[in-house]
Amino acid sequence: MRYYLRKLAFYLVALWAALTLNFVIPRLMPGNPVDILLAKLQLRGGSVDPAARRSFELLLGGGGDESVVSQYLSYLGNVFRGDLGVSVSAFPAPVSQVIADSLPWTVVLVGIATLLSFLVGIALGALVGWKRGTWLDALVPATTVLSAVPYFWLALILVAVFASALGWFPLLGGYDVVLSPGWDAEFLSSAIYHGTLPALTIVVSSIGGWLLGMRNMMVSAASEDYVLTAQAKGLRDSRIMIRYATRNAVLPSVAGVAISLGFVVSGSIITEQVFSYPGIGSKLLQAVQNNDYALMQGIFLVITVAVLGANLVVDLLYALIDPRTRVTG
Amino acid sequence: MTTLVARDLVKDFGVRDGLRRRSLRAVDRVSFTLEPGRTVALVGESGSGKSTIAKMIARLEKPSGGSIAVTGPDGVEVPDKDYRHRVQMVFQDPFASLNPFHTVEHHLARPLRLHGRARGAEETARLVSELLERVTLPASFASRRPHELSGGQRQRVAIARALAPGAEIVVADEPVSMLDVSIRLGILKLLARLQKEEDLAVLYITHDLATARHFSDEILVLYRGRVVERGPSDRVILDPRHPYTKLLAAASPNPDARDRVFEVGRAAVEAAGATAAYDHHTGRWEEAA
Amino acid sequence: MTNPSPVTAPSRTKDGRRAMLPRWSPKLGVGLGLIGAIALFGVVGPLVVGDPNAVRDIGLTAPGGEHWLGTTQTGQDVVAQIAFATRGSLRIGLLVGLMATVLSAVFGIVGSYAGGIVDELFSLFSNVMLVIPGLPLVIVIAGFVPAAQRGSWTIAVVLAITGWAASARVLRAQTLSLRNRDYVAAAKVAGEKTWRVITVEILPNLLPLLASQFVFAVVLAILSEAGLSFLGLGASNSSTLGTMLYYAQNGFALQREAWWWFVPPGLVIALFGCGLSLVNFSIDEIINPKLRDVPRRPGKVAEALRVTPAERGEDDAVLTVEDLSVVYQGDKPVHAVKGVSLTLRRGEILGLAGESGCGKTTLAYAVNRLHKPPAEVTSGAVTFHDRDGTDTDVLGLGPEELREFRWTKLSMVFQGAMNALSPVTSVAAQLDDVLTTHRPGMSRADRRARCVEVFELVGVDPARLGSFPHELSGGMRQRVMIAMALLLDPQVMIMDEPTTALDVVVQRGILLEILKFRDELGFAVLFITHDLPLLLEISDRIAVMRDGEVVELGTAQDLHLDPRHPYTRELLDSFPSLTGDRGGFIRGTEPALHDGGVR
Repeated sequence: MRYYLRKLAFYLVALWAALTLNFVIPRLMPGNPVDILLAKLQLRGGSVDPAARRSFELLLGGGGDESVVSQYLSYLGNVFRGDLGVSVSAFPAPVSQVIADSLPWTVVLVGIATLLSFLVGIALGALVGWKRGTWLDALVPATTVLSAVPYFWLALILVAVFASALGWFPLLGGYDVVLSPGWDAEFLSSAIYHGTLPALTIVVSSIGGWLLGMRNMMVSAASEDYVLTAQAKGLRDSRIMIRYATRNAVLPSVAGVAISLGFVVSGSIITEQVFSYPGIGSKLLQAVQNNDYALMQGIFLVITVAVLGANLVVDLLYALIDPRTRVTG
Repeated sequence: MTTLVARDLVKDFGVRDGLRRRSLRAVDRVSFTLEPGRTVALVGESGSGKSTIAKMIARLEKPSGGSIAVTGPDGVEVPDKDYRHRVQMVFQDPFASLNPFHTVEHHLARPLRLHGRARGAEETARLVSELLERVTLPASFASRRPHELSGGQRQRVAIARALAPGAEIVVADEPVSMLDVSIRLGILKLLARLQKEEDLAVLYITHDLATARHFSDEILVLYRGRVVERGPSDRVILDPRHPYTKLLAAASPNPDARDRVFEVGRAAVEAAGATAAYDHHTGRWEEAA
Repeated sequence: MTNPSPVTAPSRTKDGRRAMLPRWSPKLGVGLGLIGAIALFGVVGPLVVGDPNAVRDIGLTAPGGEHWLGTTQTGQDVVAQIAFATRGSLRIGLLVGLMATVLSAVFGIVGSYAGGIVDELFSLFSNVMLVIPGLPLVIVIAGFVPAAQRGSWTIAVVLAITGWAASARVLRAQTLSLRNRDYVAAAKVAGEKTWRVITVEILPNLLPLLASQFVFAVVLAILSEAGLSFLGLGASNSSTLGTMLYYAQNGFALQREAWWWFVPPGLVIALFGCGLSLVNFSIDEIINPKLRDVPRRPGKVAEALRVTPAERGEDDAVLTVEDLSVVYQGDKPVHAVKGVSLTLRRGEILGLAGESGCGKTTLAYAVNRLHKPPAEVTSGAVTFHDRDGTDTDVLGLGPEELREFRWTKLSMVFQGAMNALSPVTSVAAQLDDVLTTHRPGMSRADRRARCVEVFELVGVDPARLGSFPHELSGGMRQRVMIAMALLLDPQVMIMDEPTTALDVVVQRGILLEILKFRDELGFAVLFITHDLPLLLEISDRIAVMRDGEVVELGTAQDLHLDPRHPYTRELLDSFPSLTGDRGGFIRGTEPALHDGGVR
């Protein structure tokens, strides 16, 4: 119980920190973003009524007479109501609508790719660590190279080889534009077809980290006394490897998801840009390029909340696989 | 005549129990006096509080209650800032108590400098070799690093370090329990000799009844932070009065009494009121199975 | 701790300043080579390649002739561009790496050393910074700063602020462990000031970790900066490899198949990162010596030198060891066990006494072939004489036969029961494992019943079967280990310092159980310990080992009253008698100088 409460409290603090950061950053920056925004909005024929102005000021600061504290409270209130302001680049769509349209693409792409690379990386890492001294050792330097490759560059190479040169996969996009999004087979297969290269990019560049981490833990676990005991017990090698060594060695990898997830998400944002994938990463960049501050901040918040949520889920799972976290007294 | 008087020492540790905090009494009203030339042994099993007492004497832990007072030869209480000139400690694990990064010289020169016993490189080097000589190590060891020394050699360096500030009171926390058996007596004999030469007061912490008996003048038997029996060492070991001391004596290996009937059955344990055992890993007292 | 297993034994002796330098290995060589070459290219390259911004009217040209790697769409020389971009990337990588490492050191080391509320706040702050994804934050910040004001310092500071948290967490964990070391306590007792304790005692021991975190920070910074520049959000006043890729992407290098434009910059990043990672491998091996390359194959038994297994002798032998030698192979082979012969009789407790490094544990492991490389059995034979009349040549068993032999005929109890049980599996499952493997025909209920039975035998409440090891006290864990060793009713039990880590009262209780089982169940025990008085009390016969040889073997009584070998006498003399004559044993006369500090 204590463990769960502590984790929950921590993520609440982290969420609060992210919200506050989001509130503070634009106020610390030079220039007056609200004016820039409103100017853009006017260009697009939006109304610059006092309500819109106030909503932007809450997000970005710069309002004349209102105190920072009351701005902060109103800002928090807006966020909890799901009101993240109006997007300028996609005017008149509210930010929340823009995010809702693009978020599923990213969640599915990054989610599946990360899960896949985690599972494959852990399995390979366990095997390489256990079978030390065999040809499998050669995988270690190979994955080192892969994990040092920038995501976007790997994406460029994959596009150059598989899309441009070989023509096996589409150059860009998330689905065939002649189709309309829906839950039909034709659309789904198109989405999978378009998502393969981006997913491959994420898997290939993140798998090395999992593999190396797991391999190192496995090497440590293999010299633990419980493995020796298991061998003395006359258990089969496969059973020792899975039930004793891997079971223990996987714990730090799971605990390390928090660190790695941030990298994967960062890498994915740039990957989406290379593929012009209709996900939230591309939207974030569009927002930046168009000075669509409200959208930019909304996306930052959503990404952060998603990462925090994923971390919370992992931490809760961790409690299931490590009985020591369940100590009550 | 520097003496240390510990009076009614108490140490409480805060423990988290679920969401509550409660306090665990590790040491409960323990008093003793350390006098020049004499050794007091604190004997007990894990969790008895003996190491906590050592740390309090060495000022690594603050007592929750009671007092520790050191009185100099002039009969005046030693002020706080001079406490460490007088009181030093030898740690249990010589593999852990020397910094792997530094030479033997560093370990001995630092306390010499800190306590103003040596000024300048030349004098320091001279005193370092003197210290090494006193613990029967060649002066050439000054340039070595801990990993080049055996356990016994390391412990000799640790003893020299404790002597470096000119301490008159030495706390020896299980100084030989981590060493190979055949060199343990050598280290204890060295301590005994130095004690004699310098008229040191020694607090000897151990779980080993046999060395406690042979090495000390007075023994305090601790159980769960309390002194259950105290007295001259031969009397306590040969004629234990408290059931717990009897239990400890009966459980200790003793080849001279190979065919004795063991008296550590359930009944003896219960008579001693020692049914609980301390667990290092959980840090809890548990009723023995 | 008196008997480190052969696997971990060398780690203790290898610390010190020399061990803080990476060991030479091909990996390290390649890594340093890559870093050196690229750094040289970044430093010297710009001096020789000419102006990277010189525009020529030749447009996009393929490699060849004057331009080794071709030109960009505006005719700029790619080699010149890469040289300058490499310099830019290295510069920002180093800058951010330094800043991030300093930040992480401040938050990780200072916080954890201070402890208390400072540590709680610092660690909370690092953890929050860790879970907030870095790049989106950087993008948002970069988005707010107008391009004209985005200098390389701004970018560097932002990258450092978002990139230090992971290192701080690692450093904190290590500092927490270091600050509880005895040498830190010793420095405090010596009267060292806090800042000196941190800088002189703790910091040097953190150097390998700091180095590895620095390297990690540099890699991360170069990658992040490249990503940022690729998105067009990098510093406006500097050109890096990411910037090059940004222009390549926007110049449609991909569509125009100008591989020479977009492949080399990424390759430089990848190779540099790879070089740093390879160096980090070597640093990791300092921090965690277990990672050093020791191939983990089953221990070898040299075939040629094996002695023919013994015939069943006259006496009621259950295990015969003949002329067994074990060598730790290496540059300087170490003869850990030298031609040892022993006979274990049915129902007997045979004590094996000796100090650390005498080879007693190596011998015990080799008997069951649990020794690991570089240990190798170079000669001898181990024969198990079964109750049913068959003899087993243990060293000659095939892998599957050996697996079946283990635990059914010969079980083991190891020293630290805390580590001998897997911490994440319930005790019941670890007992059950034995039965499912060796008694596949047993039903679940029968297995359960057997587990309950052995638990009751060793005096542990069967309700504890569902417990995890951390929920049991040290004494109980060791009882569980003994229960596990009893499961298959073996004829031989090897006990390696089974009670060393326990308090005397708990130890005595367990010893009484062992004696009781021996009488009731009739198995033989090979009992290994450094505690000779204990052996004298409980064993029938005792073998004293020194430097890999059995120097004396006799009944406990003979050994006690009439030791023949000087070493046996020395060992006996090392244990002052509890109740015997005081005889000036320790505190009497001036000791002879035979303890002259040689060991």
